[in-house]
Amino acid sequence: MKQFRRLKKLGLYGLLLAGLCAAGIAVPAQAEIKVLRIGIGVDADTLNPQEQTTTLIQNMCDLIYDTLFFQKPDGTLEPRLATGYDVSDDGLTWTLHLREGVTFSDGSAFNAEVMKQTFDRILNPDLRVPLRFAVSMVKECTIVDEHTVALHLKFPFAPLADALSMTLNAPISPKALEEYGEDVRQHPVGAGPYVLEEWVQGDRIVMVRNEDYFGKKPTVEKIIWKVVPEVSTREAMLRSGQIDICYKPSPANVSGLKADPNVQVDMPLDTRTIFMGLNCQKGVTQDKLVRQAFNYAVDKEAIVKKILFDTAVPMDAPVSPIVFGHKTMDKQYPYDPDKAKALLDKAGFDYDTVVSMRTPNGRYLFDKQVSQAVQAYLQAIGVKVELRTYDWPTYVAGLLKPLEESELEVFLLGWGPLFLDADMGLYGQFTCEVNPPKGLGAAFYCNPEYDELMKRSRMELDNEKRKELLVEASRMVWEDCPWIWLHVEKFVIAYSQEIQDLVVTPTEKFYPTYISKQ
Amino acid sequence: MLRYIIKRLFYTLPVLLGISLLLFFMLRMLPGDPAQVLAGQMASSEEVEMIRHQLGLDQPVLLQYVHFLNRLAHFDLGRSARTQNPVTQEIWARLPNTLLLAVLAISLACLLGIPAGIISAVKPYSWLDYLMTSAALFGISMPVFWLGLMLVLIFSVTLHWLPAGGTGSWKHLVLPSFTLAMFVMAFIARMTRSTMLEILSQDYTTTARSKGLKEKVVIVKHALKNAMIPIITVIGLQFGMLLGGAVLTETVFAWPGLGRLIVDSILARDYAVTQGAILVFGLLYVLVNLIVDLLYAVLDPRIRYD
Repeated sequence: MKQFRRLKKLGLYGLLLAGLCAAGIAVPAQAEIKVLRIGIGVDADTLNPQEQTTTLIQNMCDLIYDTLFFQKPDGTLEPRLATGYDVSDDGLTWTLHLREGVTFSDGSAFNAEVMKQTFDRILNPDLRVPLRFAVSMVKECTIVDEHTVALHLKFPFAPLADALSMTLNAPISPKALEEYGEDVRQHPVGAGPYVLEEWVQGDRIVMVRNEDYFGKKPTVEKIIWKVVPEVSTREAMLRSGQIDICYKPSPANVSGLKADPNVQVDMPLDTRTIFMGLNCQKGVTQDKLVRQAFNYAVDKEAIVKKILFDTAVPMDAPVSPIVFGHKTMDKQYPYDPDKAKALLDKAGFDYDTVVSMRTPNGRYLFDKQVSQAVQAYLQAIGVKVELRTYDWPTYVAGLLKPLEESELEVFLLGWGPLFLDADMGLYGQFTCEVNPPKGLGAAFYCNPEYDELMKRSRMELDNEKRKELLVEASRMVWEDCPWIWLHVEKFVIAYSQEIQDLVVTPTEKFYPTYISKQ
Repeated sequence: MLRYIIKRLFYTLPVLLGISLLLFFMLRMLPGDPAQVLAGQMASSEEVEMIRHQLGLDQPVLLQYVHFLNRLAHFDLGRSARTQNPVTQEIWARLPNTLLLAVLAISLACLLGIPAGIISAVKPYSWLDYLMTSAALFGISMPVFWLGLMLVLIFSVTLHWLPAGGTGSWKHLVLPSFTLAMFVMAFIARMTRSTMLEILSQDYTTTARSKGLKEKVVIVKHALKNAMIPIITVIGLQFGMLLGGAVLTETVFAWPGLGRLIVDSILARDYAVTQGAILVFGLLYVLVNLIVDLLYAVLDPRIRYD
């Protein structure tokens, strides 16, 4: 019954969307937009949705392939290539209803067979599918009828529908796969609103409208993704009108861009949390009192204001406020150096030990500067901290060492769930099974009681009950402080004042498909 | 002459082999696992292991080097770990852009730097000389990155005369080539000035003047021609700097060249592309210096390569 309600909801949203879209183009005078130029920082490496891990390039893939569901900024799912789903009572079989009458841009048909092939590829251990873990609970996909498939799960996984909205599950045209094989990454063919026209390596990617798209006709005829690695140049190009959208301008310049009458800035809250991991199984941070003390010692409000120019907000729970399962925690860790000191004294902290802190440089917004600030705050209460900076690959190699070899004490890291559910944050960082080297839960937080709660939450198909379990788990880990809870980033995107109705999501994606221009 | 060229080209082989050896092991000594970078932060360890196997990185390093040399002998630089395209394709897509920029920059640097140096030398310690030498000092001291951004600010954002970055028309070339030329230009101007000053005080210059030759002829035909050898040497050496500068210039001006490819590849630990692109840089450097050596013979008939 509950599934039915959810399905009905889906259908309703579909209608709503159609209505909204219609409203968007209701003004008949609106001309079509010939070209939209978007300045981005990196070139695509692969346009195969199964291989891609970079959000921006997944964003491009979404336009070429479209996804099964689209997760809207409010977290609800909108039917796209799939029109709905049913879940069996034991939660182990998910039946997906596929949209009928959809063809890929090369004319081949989208049906259950294609969907099965897609899942077979995703689950094939010989293919490079870095995000496979997100749907690894799927054992196999079977065909029910021409437009229905069944997903058989190894264990119940309540947020599966959200996971299915990921770019990862987008189907590739079977004809293109046959023609190009794995080179399909350079010759993407999908069922989405756009078709790849040209890809000049290191320079630009050009897409044109798919005239046979099953959905409403896109308003933008051609999209040019221009690779401009230097962020200042990207901003300059937006200001001088050479591009229409500037992807991720520098936080330091947000106020300047906002002041420009030709530019508008959007910055919705992201799913990504930035934190200082504290090794729970080694060194001085093994003691929970010390970890809590560190949380009181750092003024997160000041960091967000002075270093990040308000392009982030302090964390108030272990996950971002925009994901399902978030609840502002009753207990908070406000800036209180005296309390921090008292806690350290209570823990019998040895002020002569030098705590080692690590930070990547340039991976997250002002990561190194944030680390320096945390270092200064800890030093202010008498803790000796030595800070070391690494480039990203070196840094990750250090994080992934098993406990015996690990030298980690305090380290900055970010974690950005790919769909709007607390599972990827809470399960993916704090369960025993993601402790390095198996995962990147580098704080080595391992609490069987917590694991039990998370496992139960995955089996719980009732949303209300599931949310309670997620909040309970949140409370537990929040109390234990495996992190210094720093902040939740915002996704910053600047674009021409003329553009209206750009869809910007909390998973750092944006969709210009149905924009209009003033 | 031809024999000399062939001999020199032959000598580049051990040089390139040396570069490849150093590069190969230096890259692998860098901490950081390419498979992990490719798999991303969230991937499972099995996934990382599979990618490592795909890339052949689970083999002993020496064996990897032997495979690399074997492929190199067949002009195959392997495939990019990131895009899985052949490395040669990745390089070919960008090499012409970098060469265009480098040649333009060198030409611009000569066209402006040599006359500036001559003017300084002919009228030493005049206000004109001070202007030129200060400009040269400015050019040498200014970081390429900063200069590039300032030019963008002035000519693109404020004046709207030139595009801030990208490719497409001759207009897109103006700012990057000027930025890149600036540094080399300053070097050339300084070298021209000091060499010319020395030559203008030589006996044969005095003789030429006393023959009643026009000052223009004395400077251009007698002095400048003799000054060209050190200048050309500087240009050849500066070419290396230019390739290094291209890395920054290409980044600032969104120019899809080889320099940027190298930086991106190093950051992603894409061994194959980094090796390939740096080898090409090495080859270019060796070739330019060969050309410089050959130009010596053209400029100074006493130099013969037989």
